[in-house]
Amino acid sequence: MTEHSDLTLSRPRPQAVGAPRPRPTQLWQLELRGTLARRRALLIKLLFPLVLVIPLVTTGAPPFFAGMLLTVLIAMVGTVGTGVSITRARGSGWLDRLAVLPLPAWRVGLELFFAGWLMDALQATLVLVVIAIAARPDPATLATTWLLALSALAFSGAIGLGIAALTDHPGEAMLYLAVVLAPLLFLSGLFTGVPAEGIRYWVAQVLPFSYLDEGFQLLLGGNPPYGDPWGFLIAALVFMGLSLVATAALGRAVLGRTAS
Amino acid sequence: MARLLSSLSELSLTEPWLVADGLSRRYRNGRGVGPVSLQVRPGEVQALVGPNGSGKTTLLRCLATRTRPGTGTVAWFGQPNREQARSRLAVVFDATAHADELSARQNLAFFGTARKIKPDLWEPALEESGVADVADDPLARLSYGMRRRVLLAEALVGDPPLLFLDEPTLGLDVSGCQWLAEAVRARARMGLATCISTNDTDFVEEVASTVCFLVDGNPVRNSPLGDLLAELGGTREIKLTYRGPSPVAALGRVSGVERAVQAEGGIVILARQRDGLLANILATLGDLDANLVDLTVRDPGLADCFLKLTGRSLHD
Repeated sequence: MTEHSDLTLSRPRPQAVGAPRPRPTQLWQLELRGTLARRRALLIKLLFPLVLVIPLVTTGAPPFFAGMLLTVLIAMVGTVGTGVSITRARGSGWLDRLAVLPLPAWRVGLELFFAGWLMDALQATLVLVVIAIAARPDPATLATTWLLALSALAFSGAIGLGIAALTDHPGEAMLYLAVVLAPLLFLSGLFTGVPAEGIRYWVAQVLPFSYLDEGFQLLLGGNPPYGDPWGFLIAALVFMGLSLVATAALGRAVLGRTAS
Repeated sequence: MARLLSSLSELSLTEPWLVADGLSRRYRNGRGVGPVSLQVRPGEVQALVGPNGSGKTTLLRCLATRTRPGTGTVAWFGQPNREQARSRLAVVFDATAHADELSARQNLAFFGTARKIKPDLWEPALEESGVADVADDPLARLSYGMRRRVLLAEALVGDPPLLFLDEPTLGLDVSGCQWLAEAVRARARMGLATCISTNDTDFVEEVASTVCFLVDGNPVRNSPLGDLLAELGGTREIKLTYRGPSPVAALGRVSGVERAVQAEGGIVILARQRDGLLANILATLGDLDANLVDLTVRDPGLADCFLKLTGRSLHD
């Protein structure tokens, strides 16, 4: 099965033998239970974003830098988690098994994605909880930025799934992800800000990371040029929808590719 | 049983359930399989036999809907639609991929639900496969052989009309192989079809009705098992190990010897039974200064048939 964790150094820790366990009948349930059963990996996965966010929000780091780092974190969590875990699942033969079941490929793609997204969403939520406690931001901005984070995770997950359709090797997937993510993050204005006009302005409007970056900046006391909670809300919903459609469409490509 | 009967009632019992016509799948390095044409009918057990790299797994993956053939066609139950076929087949690949942190019961619940198998059939499948006692343990704690049994149980549950098994005896102990052989024979008795890719010829001899020999991706022979074994009437297999220069070429010229090939651990000779055969072989070894270490003579089997037909050992 896919090991949806960007930290997979720890060995799986099987559950203790005891009372009969709930039986997962859907793929996303099976995947999610598998992730929850790897307790040490799960703990590290959930705690490692806090290692970044706690110093950032408690030491008064400039909002521009803090927003950039947290957005990169969200983008990496979504893409690497999905891309690497799916390529690993192909190598182990798990995708072979799923591919010959009488389940539509789009559904398999969506369920694999959803199980990973839920864990990623939990990570992002913890980050937002720390910000809420430390920075006491405006609740509307907090809520819309949280939705933006979930939507950016879905967008990154779809990118990871797309990469997983191109390669069989987790290491190669990491390389492709860096090649795809770096320009997207640059065009989102993370490193230089978004210009007021021109093509880069318009490109930034169609990338969720630009909205998320501004959301984080607003939460941390910054004053980004285009920060608008209502705009964030619409962007979050649009990107979420687009990501789900892309994920369903990529299901066939991901399952169709066989390990070389 | 009710599900089985209802499933079979929708299928033709006279037409083949699996038809491959000119199927070919080649990789960039030229390896692969085909063209192959074969049919599997209800109640048949078709074995694909060949040494490593002969293309049997590639062929099985094409037949089992996992891989699209490069050329040629495959039809399942008279239809070329792979997605439609998947509701009536099950596949065991050589990799033992599971949700390893979860138990056999939990894994079976997922695969059973996905294949629309009634939950009351799950438990008997675990019991028959011999894993019921450990079915609540995480699979990561079980031995490789036990995980293979779980894999097989997940495929056998619900009696799919068409079952594909890739190296099914891998990791199984003697009792596991016996259980599996009986399960495959029981399927055949019920009129269900099975397609097996393996080079375990002992297992094939126990269960197969038809055998397709593959060499370098090409089918050499596809015949009923009985016909293949009958061709070996009066033949003996002599296996010898030696020290010194290889006597394989000289042994091939000994009167009565049909084939002599270098195989893993020694030389395998197929020879017509006749007076003085062993004496001639020993004399040849003596002439070449090859020291005989061990020599066994036995009735030949499918592996010897493969050797006779192809000039190659299954285990070289």
